[in-house]
Amino acid sequence: MTRLVQIEHALAAVSSGTTSLGIKASNGIVIATEKKSSSILVDDSMIEKVSIICPNIGIVYSGMGPDFRVLVAKARKSAQAYWKIYGEYPPTRVLTQEIATVMQEATQSGGVRPFGVSLLVAGYDTNRGPTLYQVDPSGSFWAWKASAIGKNMTNAKTFLEKRYNDDISLEDAIHTALLTLKEGFEGQMTEKTIEIGVVTVPAAAELVPEVGGRIKPSFRKLTEEEVRDYLAL
Amino acid sequence: MNSIASRFASTSASAAISRDEEENQVAASMWGSTGGFGNLGQVGIPSFEIPRVPDPTNFLRMHTDDRNDPSCRIKIQHGTTTLAFRFQGGIIVAVDSRATAGSYIASGTVKKVIEINKYLLGTMAGGAADCQYWETYLGIQCRLHELRNRERISVAAASKYLSNLVYGYKGMGLSMGTMIAGWDKTGPALFYVDSDGQRLKGDLFSVGSGSTFAYGVLDAGYRWDLSEEEAQELGRRAIYAAGHRDAFSGNTVNLYHVKEDGWKFIGNYDVTTLHYEGPGNVPGAVPGGYGYDVRTEGLHSRGAATVA
Amino acid sequence: MSIMSYNGGSVVAMVGKNCVAIASDLRLGSQALTVATDFQKIFPVTDRIFLGLPGLATDVLTLKERFRFRVNMYTIKEEREIEPETFAHLVSSTLYERRFGPYFVEPVIAGLGKDNKPFIAATDLIGCLTLPKDFAVSGTASDKMFGVAEGLWEPDLEPEDLFETISQTLMNAVDRDAYSGWGAIVHVITPDKVITRTLKSRMD
Repeated sequence: MTRLVQIEHALAAVSSGTTSLGIKASNGIVIATEKKSSSILVDDSMIEKVSIICPNIGIVYSGMGPDFRVLVAKARKSAQAYWKIYGEYPPTRVLTQEIATVMQEATQSGGVRPFGVSLLVAGYDTNRGPTLYQVDPSGSFWAWKASAIGKNMTNAKTFLEKRYNDDISLEDAIHTALLTLKEGFEGQMTEKTIEIGVVTVPAAAELVPEVGGRIKPSFRKLTEEEVRDYLAL
Repeated sequence: MNSIASRFASTSASAAISRDEEENQVAASMWGSTGGFGNLGQVGIPSFEIPRVPDPTNFLRMHTDDRNDPSCRIKIQHGTTTLAFRFQGGIIVAVDSRATAGSYIASGTVKKVIEINKYLLGTMAGGAADCQYWETYLGIQCRLHELRNRERISVAAASKYLSNLVYGYKGMGLSMGTMIAGWDKTGPALFYVDSDGQRLKGDLFSVGSGSTFAYGVLDAGYRWDLSEEEAQELGRRAIYAAGHRDAFSGNTVNLYHVKEDGWKFIGNYDVTTLHYEGPGNVPGAVPGGYGYDVRTEGLHSRGAATVA
Repeated sequence: MSIMSYNGGSVVAMVGKNCVAIASDLRLGSQALTVATDFQKIFPVTDRIFLGLPGLATDVLTLKERFRFRVNMYTIKEEREIEPETFAHLVSSTLYERRFGPYFVEPVIAGLGKDNKPFIAATDLIGCLTLPKDFAVSGTASDKMFGVAEGLWEPDLEPEDLFETISQTLMNAVDRDAYSGWGAIVHVITPDKVITRTLKSRMD
């Protein structure tokens, strides 16, 4: 098998990045990551590692922050372009494919390097329900029940394999996510050093917008208060 | 006549004149209308009030030309198919019965053959009102001719009377394309008269938006020695063709036959019935509908007949 | 002479109880001249969505192919059939792409959505979406169809009654329109099948 050195460098960047993980529950999905800053002088309230792409999709990354920022901007733009054509936001798979295409192009185009990130894409759509995807710098992507990326991914995955079952609830999944992160965590786990995003499955009635209104988002980020409460349990 | 200025003029002379004129108008309107035939005795031909504007012709066109202004109030009926032809057995006159205002089919039961008298028929194309009015008026003049000369007017004379009459209004917006058909001393006679002043003698005419379709059928089937039944069928078939192909013609066919002892109404035929079923048990007609698909059922390249 | 009525033709769609119907005439004209009486203006999009395209015939054929392309791409990319609402938005955005040089068609969409929910929609030639609850009309006989449909339509019609209502609406309206008629076709979309019938109508 041919090796593409550039992609291996990108994967190395991911492997040295902070750990992120995602777990698909029976009634939703949780994605979480640790948010560590290099100095206590950094205002970490401005750092965002879990990003909302559109009301039904959110992503988290491990690897290079600036590369992620570019991908988020492209993904958001793609979601809005889709909305402009079809009057609804893209299904998770379609958006994931769109991002993966952008990442693949960076492996084949001249004058650019591959994106130094792996992504976990979590979203809800009426077609496939809640789905969790991982995208790698090569542009390949897979659907997962649970996955981890970044520095501690091997241990985290082993941990998840032991803990996971198909009918885990979202609440349990959030706790499992925190426990998994805790495994390899350096320093104190607080609401300032943890970021969590959740996908909830909307009730049928919630999918019909009120006249002139919008559908309630099915992806949201937990507030610091909520994260603190989960950590306290 | 009743302008504000003259009505309030203080001199008694002008006041008297205006009262006289008013009485004249009342007398005329007692017959029906001032533009009607009531004032025939005084002037000879009807007199019409002309709009008091610098350019009456242009003023009228502003309100009647529906090509430039679809919202104008006075609609001129443009869509029609009429035909008439001379043959060994007399004259066949056939017309459709559709009236349109823009794309709207305003009526499907219009009488486009005007029965001027027992021996004369006129067809209607162009302005419905113009044709109706002036051909009725022509009927009056034909009767007066008959009383004066103890002899029926010739078709040539009648059509020329109409032609000269409408020529007097040339440029004022009259719209007529008519055929005058009848039987006189010379036998069957047919003339085409229109509001431009054109008058033609001929054996075969078709007038209106559907005339090209009618001509197509007519030219293919016309002969002088057509039998009466064949001739009637040809007229019927030609109007059907126009009704089918022309959006502004259709609904029904009215068929007349002019013979030595005057005209005869042959019948009224629904174009759609002709399409699917034909004219029924009529002499000269081939059984079955006139419709292309109806006649060629199973003979198309598409869905060709299956060999048993 | 409006380019919208150059070829003539009309389409109507109606909502029934767990069903929708869409119908059109079959005329293709060149102004007053009737050129063909078998010109289809309604096209299947999926098994449960039909698209009616009355207007300029050349654009009818072009758009039919454009939408076939876009819907096929959608089906492949998303691995699912497009829903009526989504397709209506696709029609709207496709037409607005040509805001300053439009296709001269005013589409009508009819279909069954999830849970067999009836859906009809209509747009103008640059894609302004309207989502009526009862019926949608378009084409040279649209004003006439509005009148007849307003009088005949009622809520919750069963498929057979809906067929009768839409057929009568179309036929009576096109019989008063010089540019529409010469045969008609009706599709009634029900949860388990599509009933398609051609109507014997006036041929003048």
